[in-house]
Amino acid sequence: MIKKHQPLRKFRDYKSSISRSPNKEPLWINSSSSEMSGPLFSKKIINKNDNDLTLNFSKIGEKPLGQEIFVHGFVKDENGNNLKNVLIEIWQANAGGKYRHQNDPSNIKLDENFGGCGRFITSSDGYYIFKTIEPGAYPYPNRGTEWRPRHIHFSLFGSMFLQRLITQMYFEGDPLIKSCPMVNSIPDINARKLLIGRLDLSKTENEKILGYRFDITLRGKEQTFFENKREGL
Amino acid sequence: MNEPKKLIDTPSQTAGPFLHIGCTPRITGINIFKSELGLTPFQDISDNEAINIKGKIYDGNNEPIIDAMIETWQCDADGNYSSNQGFARIVTDFKTGEYHLKTIRPGNEINTDGSLSASYITFWIVARGMNRPLITRMYFLENDLKNDLILKSIKIEDRLNTLIPYTEDNKNFIFNIYLQGKKETIFFEF
Repeated sequence: MIKKHQPLRKFRDYKSSISRSPNKEPLWINSSSSEMSGPLFSKKIINKNDNDLTLNFSKIGEKPLGQEIFVHGFVKDENGNNLKNVLIEIWQANAGGKYRHQNDPSNIKLDENFGGCGRFITSSDGYYIFKTIEPGAYPYPNRGTEWRPRHIHFSLFGSMFLQRLITQMYFEGDPLIKSCPMVNSIPDINARKLLIGRLDLSKTENEKILGYRFDITLRGKEQTFFENKREGL
Repeated sequence: MNEPKKLIDTPSQTAGPFLHIGCTPRITGINIFKSELGLTPFQDISDNEAINIKGKIYDGNNEPIIDAMIETWQCDADGNYSSNQGFARIVTDFKTGEYHLKTIRPGNEINTDGSLSASYITFWIVARGMNRPLITRMYFLENDLKNDLILKSIKIEDRLNTLIPYTEDNKNFIFNIYLQGKKETIFFEF
């Protein structure tokens, strides 16, 4: 039995999860050195503007379209300790809801000044910051056509492979969150709120860049069970 | 019951069909970073030690998944894990769904009781439709497996072969992953 703050692999309302999840129960085993170790990435792999998506793809002197925002926060472990040297990769659609990807069928225009990806490695106090533009919502096929809430994809490497996480940040107040089957695949309603970046008016610049705060917690060596004990062991 | 209050770890969400933008951006024509991550798990793999692992990930309709990313993690030939090697990031082909990993054969990790574990490569898989990653392992020898400290206590013998690749020469391996059906691969949770 998986913990209720993590999404179900198979969730009826998210159609493609039905054929893309196992039917059998996973096999629970104790972690060994392969799970307790992991790659560590040096700050040397990061360019100065990798975390500024308004600059890292644009032509000199030009900017992507859209509302400029900061997305920032702390990466912590389950005991609340800030985690340094965590590589964060993000990717997102442009302001119109179009991804720079050959498989995106949308006929919305690409923004020639927006790539849509960024990288950062957390500082010694676990802090990260990205500057980007607010992504657009977009339609996708599910149960008929549905709309994804505006979101930014996040990928994180902790110090061991067990902590590897890919998730999405949603935007506070977006009315599309409530009906999103990917969000709703998380049984624990309170845990869904952990995916919402909160408007942070203290983090603004030049009175034109809005701030969002999104803290992220990576798991520890043991699975933490808040609701259910795991069965069968 | 009296454990200190812990933070809830952030829920996973699907990496979606466009994960390449953030994870393997050059495939999408974005060349802004210094390097792609995990292009090779080890530097300067010699022809002598190189092994090639190829395969596809099949969904419940027996269709190959063309938009998956696999991260592999393994020890070196001596059984040691190191934070600066052993990691690879590969994606399945947009048309055929095939992946290809060129690496070296991992050695045997030492168990906590001093015995040697079977050698394996961890496969960590994400894609559209996967709300959480799927984790499996590719083991090299069936004999190894029967003595593996973790696996020998578990009654999965009839599915153990889902963790073993096909090979004729011990240099080239076919390791297909099946999400459902009679050949459903064993996936792990830790």
